[in-house]
Amino acid sequence: MRSVSMLAYNLTLAMQSFKRAPSLYFLVVLTLSIGVGLLCANLALVNSMASDPIPEKSEQLFHVSMNTWPNDDPQAEPFHILRYREAMKIVSSDIPKNSAVFYASGVYARDSASPSLKRFDSSVRATTPGFFSLTNAPFAYGSGFIKSSVMEVVIGHELNQKIFTGENSVGKVLELDGELLTIVGVLKPWRLRPLFYHATEGRAFNLTDDIYAPLETSIDLGWSIHARSSSTVSYKGVKFTRDRDVFYLQAWVELENSVKKQAFQYYLDNYSQSLKDVGEHPLAIRNELRDVNAWLLEQNIVDQKVLAFTLASVLFLCVCVFNASSLLLSRFHSAKFEVGLRRAIGASNKNILMQGITESALLGVIAGLLSLLLSWLFLKLSTKFLPDLENLAVLEPKLLLLGVLLALVTAIFSALYPLYRGNRYTISAELK
Amino acid sequence: MNFATLNIKGLIKSLLLRKFTTGLLILQLAITLGLLVNSAILAFDTREKMSQPTGLDDENILIVSTHPTSGSYRDLDYYRSIVNEDLSKLNQLPGVNSVSITNQLPIRGRGMLSNTHDIDNPEQEKADKYLKDVKYTLAGEHLAEAMGFTIIEGRFLNKSDELDFDSEAKNNIVITESLKKGLYGDESAIGRETNNGIIVGVIKDIMLDPTLPRDKQYGLFMNTIMKYIFIGRFYVINVEPGQMANVRNQVSDTILAVQAERDIFDVFTMSEHLKNFYRDDQGLSDLFLLLCGLMIFVTAISSYAYSQFHISRQKKYIGIRRALGARKQDILLYVLTENWLVYTIGCALGLVMALGFNILLSQYISLSKPDMMLFLLASAVIFVAGTLATWIPAVKTSNIPPVIATRTV
Amino acid sequence: MLKMNNISRIYQSDTIQTHALRDFSLNVNAGEFVAVTGPSGSGKSTFLNVAGLLDNFDRGQYELDGVSVQGLKDDELSRLRNEKIGFIFQNYNLIPDYSIFDNVDMPLRYRGFSASERKRRVEEALEKVGLASRLKYLPSQLSGGQQQRVAIARALAGEPKILLADEPTGNLDSLMARQVMEILHDLNKGGATIIMVTHDPDQAREVSRNVQVIDGQLADFRVYAPLDRQAEQTGKNTSAVASKNVNEEVVDA
Repeated sequence: MRSVSMLAYNLTLAMQSFKRAPSLYFLVVLTLSIGVGLLCANLALVNSMASDPIPEKSEQLFHVSMNTWPNDDPQAEPFHILRYREAMKIVSSDIPKNSAVFYASGVYARDSASPSLKRFDSSVRATTPGFFSLTNAPFAYGSGFIKSSVMEVVIGHELNQKIFTGENSVGKVLELDGELLTIVGVLKPWRLRPLFYHATEGRAFNLTDDIYAPLETSIDLGWSIHARSSSTVSYKGVKFTRDRDVFYLQAWVELENSVKKQAFQYYLDNYSQSLKDVGEHPLAIRNELRDVNAWLLEQNIVDQKVLAFTLASVLFLCVCVFNASSLLLSRFHSAKFEVGLRRAIGASNKNILMQGITESALLGVIAGLLSLLLSWLFLKLSTKFLPDLENLAVLEPKLLLLGVLLALVTAIFSALYPLYRGNRYTISAELK
Repeated sequence: MNFATLNIKGLIKSLLLRKFTTGLLILQLAITLGLLVNSAILAFDTREKMSQPTGLDDENILIVSTHPTSGSYRDLDYYRSIVNEDLSKLNQLPGVNSVSITNQLPIRGRGMLSNTHDIDNPEQEKADKYLKDVKYTLAGEHLAEAMGFTIIEGRFLNKSDELDFDSEAKNNIVITESLKKGLYGDESAIGRETNNGIIVGVIKDIMLDPTLPRDKQYGLFMNTIMKYIFIGRFYVINVEPGQMANVRNQVSDTILAVQAERDIFDVFTMSEHLKNFYRDDQGLSDLFLLLCGLMIFVTAISSYAYSQFHISRQKKYIGIRRALGARKQDILLYVLTENWLVYTIGCALGLVMALGFNILLSQYISLSKPDMMLFLLASAVIFVAGTLATWIPAVKTSNIPPVIATRTV
Repeated sequence: MLKMNNISRIYQSDTIQTHALRDFSLNVNAGEFVAVTGPSGSGKSTFLNVAGLLDNFDRGQYELDGVSVQGLKDDELSRLRNEKIGFIFQNYNLIPDYSIFDNVDMPLRYRGFSASERKRRVEEALEKVGLASRLKYLPSQLSGGQQQRVAIARALAGEPKILLADEPTGNLDSLMARQVMEILHDLNKGGATIIMVTHDPDQAREVSRNVQVIDGQLADFRVYAPLDRQAEQTGKNTSAVASKNVNEEVVDA
């Protein structure tokens, strides 16, 4: 009871103190909240970039890299893109619970039943059916296609909004670059941050795809490759890639435990050895399985510019704390007469300290709330200056909390020395 | 101003007596200076990158990036006929010098690449790793005029270099000067054969990939864009000086009038393309400058608070000085000098901070080393900002009446 | 040396006008030692502030060492304070961060003397008050009496025409007060003109002239000592005063 009334009393005193020097406290709050807001905005970006997009099974999903380059060019590193023949070898294995082999493409899409000729530029994931259960893609309507060579597609939420205004479009037929494909599934809004299944070529923060089409169908229709591809031979388009040395497919497998992982590694190495035996694998055998987080780390997807700026904003926060500290010092100094008086009428050092801490904590809370607003503003500003960050600029609740906490801690930290100094003024010196 | 009235030793002593506040301010100044210097470096670096010569007629090149939306274009002969009509219609626009088509633009990282070596010397690629990634551009025969290439040997591509689409014959190619040097040194390259075709011409270097060294701008051009028309994404239009705005307004309509089922992604000049390449560098440099502004603002507040706080404690002593004959300007100088002394120490420490911050930043981004000129410039900014911030308290101090001296507390 | 004629100083607050000095006139000749007494609030502090050019006045004429001060600019007043007046304050007003040397040196810097000239003068002045050996001490390391003697040295170093002392012994115990008064008397004997505000009647009685301020006016004046000696020494500077050794006080470190 006593401590509650003491707290209330301290809060009243703090409010009075604010009223006495409003511009000074305003500056303290302003500088602290700018500092915290800026840092928080940057941390939000870093957090988005460094987070685990599929925490429920990121340790069981593995990206496959192989070293099957057909000549002895010292291309040393295993490739993240594979030939069709390796991709098929992976898909045909029954060791993984799920596997997905795909490439990125793009088509123009319209509702074949619509009178309008307006077509929408749509990104395509040409993939084997295992993709949906491997990535836990969330279905709003229908389901994935079962076979790789059917004229069926799954579409994303946004495209469904654009073409069918969000209604259940399962069974409708899309015209995609002049071909008719039937919709069998529609996804819910689906965000993967980072887009782990395609983290290369600077695409880690792209949105999920508009259209998911069967791999064989896409190849047959000649939907071109919209990502890195590499080849030792010339070819006239994706239609002709199945039996050539064209590297363009990415592969993911779901392996539930280390035994299965071991088994799958063995399976790949065996395959490579069989190539070697017939002289088709001149390089050393190096097949690599990396789980989601290891793969993302390997891709260095955290933007170095943002890291550099985060570093700068840490320094800036230091400057803000120093600034708040010297402002508070001058405030507490000018209030020393009052402190002396309180001490003289029996307030203990601890009482005075508590009062000071209450005051700075209150400052911290105010600064924290203001810094939330400012970090939102800074995020908007950052994406204006660095437009690539647009899909990343999200303030998650834990960051909001972090912002308030950071403001609170910095405010109290700023007040520590001024309080220590304040408590050293002798009573008599102030009251003679 | 008469600095002889100042007791510098005394000033330093009085600074030492408030180690904490002075120390805080000095640290702030040093950090601010460190950031200021490095932000300036970033800004200058970016500016320098953007002002590098591209070897192209930047201002007068207009680019249209487009893609058909209709399935009819899967018939490549139809596709080609539309493109040919596009090109001829664009060519007829008043103010247009020439028009061409290509699969990729210069001033871009990576893109379509091919390994390249003299047909008899595949080992070249092992000695020069840049030969593995030579920019492989499919060009129309007018691309040299449209881009403003300078031919230094042989000729550019012409109609005769465009083979029948199912021909297995060797292509004729044009290469950049640095690629010629990489392959054949100072010898002539005309008539030599590479794995990608026979060289018929060499053009002066252009900036193909700004992330590569200036002398490794390896690129080759061949007249196969009509064969692979489906990757011919860019129309390149060379415009008469002064006609840019005019032409720019008409290109989209001209193209869509030929056939409407096309997506026109963007219409831009080569200088905009260059700017866009460095957009992120520019953005980062702008962000840093913004932070600098904030930092100077906060540090100025601190300088203000510092002098204000100090003066509130020194009021009495200022009064004594006045009583003993100090003029207002002596006091002004006294207060300002005290601050200047702090700034000087702050800037000196800031030099270390600037170097340290530079090293730290270069772990993440590439930036030049700090130089003395920049450091002095940044110090000047700190001094000016600091002096402005302490001006009001200093004037207020000099207005302290001497009569304070006789008041007993 | 100092001529005040019908000086008035009025303090104005929102509603009340206070006449701190009312048609105040006083003439002090060179070489005089004048004690100014009066009850508190009588205006003697205001008198000293006006006399020392620390405060301005509203009406009347004031001439200091032949210079008429009304209408002078702030900078000119500073100059006059620096060159013609030596202040001795009740609470010494030494700058605590500065050593004894630097304290005495401070007004000389504003005069623009060269370093060697300043050094000579500081040492000479401290010699006079018997503290030449404490150049490097901080004021806080000295006793009250010693501090006041430093303040006197500071006042003397600029070789002023007139010394103004505001209750110079007000903060000192009687022994130390005695020593300070002896120095002042010695200086006066050496030819210095001194005006001292005091509330100690004993001190007032010892000097050549005692004036009393009541309600902002000169009430009456009594002469306790003959004036004949001063008449011969008109215009002589305090610097001519021969120094006399003063017993050192023992200070605990």
